[in-house]
Amino acid sequence: MSEINGKVLKHGEQTRTMHWMHMITFILLALTGIGFYFDIGFIGGIFGGEANASLVHRWAGVVFTVGPALYILLNFERFARFMDTIATFTKDDFGWLKTMGGYIPFLKGDVPPQDKYNAGQKMLGHLIIIGCLLMILTGFPMWLWRGVLPAAFLAFCYNIHFWVAVILILAIAGHFFLAAIHPKSRVEFASMMMDGYIDAEISAHHNEKWFNSLQEVKE
Amino acid sequence: MSTATLADTGIIQITKACKACDHCTSVCPTGAVKGLLGQKHSIDYKTCINCGQCLINCPFGAIIDTSSVEQVKQALNDSGKTVIVQEAPAVRVALGEEFGMPVGTNVKGKMHAALRKLGFDKVYDTEFAADLTIMEEGTELIHRVFKLAGVAGYEDRGPLPQFTSCCPAWIKYAEDKYPAILPHLSSAKSPQQMFGAIAKTYAANKQGVNPADMVSVSVMPCTAKKYECDRPEMKASGFQDVDYVITTRELATIIKDAGIDFVNLPDEEADKLIGTSTGAATIFGVTGGVMEAALRTAYEILSGESLNKVEFTAVRGMQPVREATVEIPIKDLGINLPVNVCIVTGTKYVDKVIEDVLAGRSKYHFIEVMNCPGGCINGGGQPIRHEMY
Amino acid sequence: MSIFKEKSVFTRRQFLIGSGMLAATVVITGIFAKLGFDAYAVSDDYIEKRAAGLYNLDEKMAIRKSHENSEILQIYKDFLSPGEVSPVSEKAHHLLHTKYGKEIPAMIEELHAHQHDAA
Repeated sequence: MSEINGKVLKHGEQTRTMHWMHMITFILLALTGIGFYFDIGFIGGIFGGEANASLVHRWAGVVFTVGPALYILLNFERFARFMDTIATFTKDDFGWLKTMGGYIPFLKGDVPPQDKYNAGQKMLGHLIIIGCLLMILTGFPMWLWRGVLPAAFLAFCYNIHFWVAVILILAIAGHFFLAAIHPKSRVEFASMMMDGYIDAEISAHHNEKWFNSLQEVKE
Repeated sequence: MSTATLADTGIIQITKACKACDHCTSVCPTGAVKGLLGQKHSIDYKTCINCGQCLINCPFGAIIDTSSVEQVKQALNDSGKTVIVQEAPAVRVALGEEFGMPVGTNVKGKMHAALRKLGFDKVYDTEFAADLTIMEEGTELIHRVFKLAGVAGYEDRGPLPQFTSCCPAWIKYAEDKYPAILPHLSSAKSPQQMFGAIAKTYAANKQGVNPADMVSVSVMPCTAKKYECDRPEMKASGFQDVDYVITTRELATIIKDAGIDFVNLPDEEADKLIGTSTGAATIFGVTGGVMEAALRTAYEILSGESLNKVEFTAVRGMQPVREATVEIPIKDLGINLPVNVCIVTGTKYVDKVIEDVLAGRSKYHFIEVMNCPGGCINGGGQPIRHEMY
Repeated sequence: MSIFKEKSVFTRRQFLIGSGMLAATVVITGIFAKLGFDAYAVSDDYIEKRAAGLYNLDEKMAIRKSHENSEILQIYKDFLSPGEVSPVSEKAHHLLHTKYGKEIPAMIEELHAHQHDAA
């Protein structure tokens, strides 16, 4: 592959803002949620007591819900493209899964060219959308209708909320490790968390199919 | 005599398993559950009326009631004690649920058989005392009506409207929050306490049992009954009238622990003497039941006529506050009295009714109050139903 | 040095998939709401079933009025109001009636006095 000199705009401004907002509220929600579930007084203490931690949890939940909802409404085209990308699974994606994108040392083989998101990221995308929807659908009833809903339904919501939280926290931990720590892919961090740009060379290597669809803008 | 009564410690406790979901605060009729959403909850024993609604509605089973199961088992194993038992009407349509039977199955006969198998010396029935309650409370109501009508000889009777006094949670609520309403409460004890007082006097005497060796156990759909039997004034027989109260849930546990095949037990009758009951007593367990039973008796006694149709369907239903008017011809006075009755189920809804009475605006003659929504059948001691469909 | 950007093409397929996802969200929310409403609707059914159990039992009883209970008549004649059926007798008042609130301490005193009399 020849040398490509340049930068690729991977994530727009609103996307990055939304990602930041979602990340901060997710951390708050996860932290307070862990505090409630395991009854850790220390975590409640950070927020000034259990009752306040619960308030933080609830209002962070509102931002966690409204933020992406607004983003989707304001950037429907971007959302639709994202959905199209992650909903498309070709044999290249299965090829990525077979070699796990080359992340696992003993899985040898060539990694096929990928879209804007590789097969792993696509799966994470689905997981987060479905997981967040479930968290929202179980969370708000437990807050707003805790007095009228029958006990059995509240317990049902509570259990779903807990298990989905466990899955999401593990998934996000993996996401953070690959996007911010792992030497092969940590350059992604600067792109999503800072200016949105990524080195063209890296993009051409990691997301070859997507890179080939881009247009060059002379500066 | 016991030193600390259950009034000081309360019947209902919230354990550490509390998830601070705050569901119980909306169930509690008195606001006795403390703690905001997110804060582990606790119960203020001063205002708690021991009804146990929070217990049966906790999504996490984190609320428990104090238990006398061990004492009952000890008494059953003690050959020197005569252990007698009474069971409330609401128990017989719920106990079967704990053994996988459909909701509402009547297991009266099996329940009596199971209690005999467990070793109770005499298996009586609270329904007998419910009939006794109707006699006393109904007569009291008639006397209060006579007082209102200006009949000589009834000047010292209490005021109208008369409130029922069968529900210990409601009694504690009235004592705690509306002391001014207490003269309106029927002075009749609840069926459980009437039964206890009769068992250790009349029944003990007839059977030739020393009441000191008698252990009186009561199976109730109710957690507040545990508090009621422990009230210091409930010693009319010279002993604690009712020694131990166990709930429907606890009875089911005892039956299971004893390895009794409950579902296949034959039906048995309660023991005679203080074990026979009527349909009027049976419906005590459902909201409006005390009212209906009282109307059946009051109508026949006041009018001197026999009722063709004993059902007063106007007082039935599940709405929290219901009212009805029943025309009763009073033979002695030669008038037709429209008796206005009111039925409240759920202490949350009683405040307005009480305030009307205290302000003199109330048109009612007789008001039934049951703390639990639906009556005793949905009491705090009943099997917990947590299935969704 | 060059800058690369995505072409602003919006295909029919992308639009359909995006809208489909929103529709799926609405459907999932609807299913969940239905679960909740159904659970709410049946949450009190058991109370009515237990009530029906008691009313059915009442209908099956041979005697359905308290003042016709033979044992009740017997206890009044034998014990509470000897020789007649007269509720709120003195004995009934002592055993079957109580007091509330502030009147309780006096009532307990009375009970003690009564016990001494008996003894």
